[in-house]
Amino acid sequence: MKVLIAEDDPISRLLLQGHLQKWGHEVTAATTGAEAWRLFEGATFPLVVSDWMMPEMDGPELVRRIRACQRPGYVYVILLTARTQKADVVQGMEAGADDFVTKPFDREELRVRVRAGERIVQLEHTLAEQNLALREAQAALVQSEKLASLGRLAAGMAHEINNPIAYVTNNVAVLRRDMLAALEVLDLWRQGDGASAARLEEELDLAYFRTNFARTCDKTLEGLQRVRDIVRNLRDFARLDEADFKEADLNAALASAAEILGHEIRQKGVRLESDFGPLPPVLCHPGKLNQVFLNLLANAVQACDRGGAVTLRSRAEGDDVVLEVQDNGSGIKPEHRARLFEPFFTTKPIGQGTGLGLSVSFGIVRDHGGVIEVESEVGRGSTFRVRLPRQPPPTGGR
Amino acid sequence: MATASKHSILLVDDEPEILFSLRGLLRREFDLHTANSGAEALEALHRHPVEVIMTDQRMPEMTGVELLRRARGEYPQAIRIVFTGYADIKAVIDAINQGQIYRYLTKPWDPDELLAVLHQACEHYDHLAQRRRLLLDLREHLARSPGQDGAGELLARLDQALAEGPAE
Repeated sequence: MKVLIAEDDPISRLLLQGHLQKWGHEVTAATTGAEAWRLFEGATFPLVVSDWMMPEMDGPELVRRIRACQRPGYVYVILLTARTQKADVVQGMEAGADDFVTKPFDREELRVRVRAGERIVQLEHTLAEQNLALREAQAALVQSEKLASLGRLAAGMAHEINNPIAYVTNNVAVLRRDMLAALEVLDLWRQGDGASAARLEEELDLAYFRTNFARTCDKTLEGLQRVRDIVRNLRDFARLDEADFKEADLNAALASAAEILGHEIRQKGVRLESDFGPLPPVLCHPGKLNQVFLNLLANAVQACDRGGAVTLRSRAEGDDVVLEVQDNGSGIKPEHRARLFEPFFTTKPIGQGTGLGLSVSFGIVRDHGGVIEVESEVGRGSTFRVRLPRQPPPTGGR
Repeated sequence: MATASKHSILLVDDEPEILFSLRGLLRREFDLHTANSGAEALEALHRHPVEVIMTDQRMPEMTGVELLRRARGEYPQAIRIVFTGYADIKAVIDAINQGQIYRYLTKPWDPDELLAVLHQACEHYDHLAQRRRLLLDLREHLARSPGQDGAGELLARLDQALAEGPAE
């Protein structure tokens, strides 16, 4: 391990250096607190052994600076001191020292205390690695849940787009055929053959064409508009281009989730009601919040039976905004309440859903400095409430 | 109005714009009936049996395959066709393999292909109706002289052929 020592007394310093090197450590020596600090700033030392009394900067001050500088990786600090009063020990520990060795120091005592320090540093290193792995796993989970919901979204959209494309294509084919037929009739009239024209008109059922032509055109344009809306919805939901925090209208986000699930909701025969209050813009990651609302709404619809109802509510409360998704479905059993946000916990049958939706939603809301609250009664239904600050806290957000 | 010679088709879809669009396409060549749901379709069949039933698969409350299963029970002569988007294909393939459905069409459809399939379906209906008519006539004729050589056996075979009904 790389060790930094700070000791103004030359003999003590040499002794210390010698011992540490014999134990296999790479030692850098400083004669004053100030020099030690300069050396510390310039490199990484997981272990620092420092005298208390030194010119230019004493031990406790050095320790305070080390603790304040917030480098990654833990620094284990041992203070050497002739002072043995409890008050001094307390002062040293308050400054941030991990351990004490009294001077003149016993070699074996120093060795075991240094070894204890090594253990702590190693533990911290392992912890940091595990944390990193966890963060990466978490990111992968969020990504996979996002893909799952994009997948569900795409499936729903495919059906939603299919119908308009089908009837628009058909309408154009019909208009083409009937228009050509009308021109044929017109030609006969121009040729002065009124009788043939009238006969052809009836044969081709031009009366229907006359009555329905405008409507067919209008419906075609509406159908294309529907397709445009669906595509725009997907773009808004995915928000692939936005990684930063932006101000967003969360009522629009809720409405967008409702539109995306529109087909599923109708298919299931569930009634959707909304009660939106005026909301200030919220600084957030809109794509991620869209994912949360989609997840909560999909869960609510799933919980309902045919004929059930889901209500969306929103209001501002002080510096927060509150958004609720309420269903009158089966409710959540008390023994499941505690596990709701657990990754992979699900009450759905195998193959349906990843069990990640709520845990990811929970994480997203937490990263925004908010909370998800749950109220539920078996047989009556559940309410999921998202409470978000208008501005996320400075250390929040990813 | 030469409607007597037009084949009758029942169109079933929960999307009214699809029905309106199909009516535009098919009105000249077929006698059209429409329904917005499986339940409405069954009701319409009670009032006016048809030769061909064409239904969307993905409808709330009763799917197309389910509707056709029920229709087959009560109106076995009608030719059954289902529309489907890709996602529903498994249910439809199963239904076809179980012999329930004459054809399936994808959504969106090609209007010319749709017309061709419907004409084929009507021809198929006619073919089956003719076959049935023939068997009935034969049976009636044979039943007038049961004493004939091999009449009994032939009658039994005719009865069986009639009971098996339309090929689907």
